[in-house]
Amino acid sequence: MPKRLALLLSLALLVVAPVAAQQAPIKIGAILPLTGSGASYGVWMKGGTEMAAEEINAAGGIGGHKLEVIYEDHAADASKAVNAMRRLVEVEKIPFTLTSYSAPTLAIQPIGAQSRVVMMNGGGQSDNLANKDYLYNNIPVVSNEVGVLCDWLTKEKKFKAAVMIVANDEAGRNSAKSFRERFGAGGGKVLAEEQIALDGNDFRAQLAKLKAQGGDLLFISSYGRNVAIVADQARELGITIPMAATSWVQIPEVLKSKGAQGMLTTRLPFNPDSPFARKFKERYKTDAGFFAVQYYSGTRIFAAAAETAMKKAGGKLDGEGVKNAIESMKAFDTISGKLVFQPNHAAVMDIEVGVLKDGKVEVEKIIKAAQ
Amino acid sequence: MDLALQLLATGLVVGSLYALCAIGWGLIYGTTLHFHVAHGAVFALAAYYAYVAQTWLRLPLAVAVLVAIVASAVSGLLIDLLLYQQLERRGAFRTSIFIASLGLLILLENVLAIVFTPDPMRMDIGALNTAVIIGPVFLTYLHILTVALALAGYGALMLFLKRSRWGQAIRAVSSAPEMARTVGIDLRRVHLLTYAVGSALAAPAGILVAMDVGAEPFRGTRFVLLASVGVIMGGIGSIPGAMLGGLFLGLLENLGIWKLPSEWQSAISFGVFLVFIVLRPRGFFGRTIHSAEI
Repeated sequence: MPKRLALLLSLALLVVAPVAAQQAPIKIGAILPLTGSGASYGVWMKGGTEMAAEEINAAGGIGGHKLEVIYEDHAADASKAVNAMRRLVEVEKIPFTLTSYSAPTLAIQPIGAQSRVVMMNGGGQSDNLANKDYLYNNIPVVSNEVGVLCDWLTKEKKFKAAVMIVANDEAGRNSAKSFRERFGAGGGKVLAEEQIALDGNDFRAQLAKLKAQGGDLLFISSYGRNVAIVADQARELGITIPMAATSWVQIPEVLKSKGAQGMLTTRLPFNPDSPFARKFKERYKTDAGFFAVQYYSGTRIFAAAAETAMKKAGGKLDGEGVKNAIESMKAFDTISGKLVFQPNHAAVMDIEVGVLKDGKVEVEKIIKAAQ
Repeated sequence: MDLALQLLATGLVVGSLYALCAIGWGLIYGTTLHFHVAHGAVFALAAYYAYVAQTWLRLPLAVAVLVAIVASAVSGLLIDLLLYQQLERRGAFRTSIFIASLGLLILLENVLAIVFTPDPMRMDIGALNTAVIIGPVFLTYLHILTVALALAGYGALMLFLKRSRWGQAIRAVSSAPEMARTVGIDLRRVHLLTYAVGSALAAPAGILVAMDVGAEPFRGTRFVLLASVGVIMGGIGSIPGAMLGGLFLGLLENLGIWKLPSEWQSAISFGVFLVFIVLRPRGFFGRTIHSAEI
């Protein structure tokens, strides 16, 4: 009997297997900073996406289709992001892509909107990313964070006069603009501002200029490893005033840098002891961070929306369907809680403020999100 | 005023790096008339040689640096032997050599990026990173070492050119190649020597930058561009001119932003260069530039 059963089973497999294989995979893009000054974010973003895709596929895929993610590197360069997006849209015919960083995302948005490809940004925070067709941000815009930071700095920490060092790109300038407004609204004054290149590595001249201006606070409106370089070189030049920054600095290079200790910073919620974080560490042999969760969630949100869209369209999937599904569902359950897309296509989150000490942020206060 | 002093000090450090690149590049250009942009690749290679020697081979820092300088000299020599001399033998124009050099620069930079990733590879430099405070000026020991090495490199090169037989041969080829040939100087061997010496001078600059902020594959392009600007400003064929040109560019880049916003840093350098070269095409103390030499 076992022989006959085995024969029957293999026959059955022969019949079934081609059917399963006929289900073409659903391809989506992920345009991430895999190299360059922000490669640390890329490790998390790609890892989170991979973990989500594997879990989705292990549970049977999306409507029986396997999910396949095509990774592209923008290296913080908008023109590279545009090339990647064109390839994904024209060659791979994707309905959806994950995207990251402000300038690259703003650069690809018109292509996505025109070809009806949904873009999910879990990393870039420029305010200009809000209210864009086909673009959804599962992260708050930076003015939310800068607002919370400035309230804390001016009202509780009593800072009065800030100098700023600003990355010369969309994200850096946009966050600096918010800081100017909100620090001013809190009764403070921005004395001076110096711009730096995101991929630079010697900022001593700019820092020397800011040092000559005095002030009681240095706001770093930049991201990636250059924040660690700024912090170290500032201390090297004898700049002793406290530094402040937003959640962009929550990467190993900055947290471990000697100069950055004592930095006053905002943080978006991330639990390093969560099952996700433990699984991430096991798999990639490196600690997980906020952005790993962001791209895990972004992929999950796509899967949920695609499932809904396919049900509605009788198994067919296109970008317009995904967009309509996101618009009608609005709220999504994620591992970091319920995520609700606001009318401006961005998310709101609890924002923590605290001080960086010994490589970790000691949270002083949590400002709850107004959903 | 404190700011001006700090910018002056930082400018001197940056200028020393440009000067090291410029005297090496100027020596090569003045002698061979090759517009050797692949000098930038040697600059980048030197940084990675030092990184590999220290991190992979576990050599002490000083030994790693020496190994890297020798390896860079050999690399420069090989570039001339295997690329430029082959082209010259086949009767290539100087423009072809320039384009070949540019191609080699791009190729080597990308190979470095593939092997080491485009991210900076940090070196362990121990106490050299300690800050030194001189009145209102903050520097590190590494910065002081940079200025000292630039002066030492310049002094050694001048001594070599003036006192040694091989140095005199280089000067002879530089000022009158045909005459040098008729008195029995082997031009090819002098060119090889020039490449080795010029590359050994660029190497410390590449290594010092790597020691400060990490080795990066694409950094050489900017340095070779500024080195050539420094040489043209200083006057082609003049080593003191190249030294001065390099220092001047570093100081200009830093002091220029004393009263202007820092995003103008590059624009100031090149703006001043354009005005300078129109007013004084021979540079500080050099020969006239002939368009055919490029």
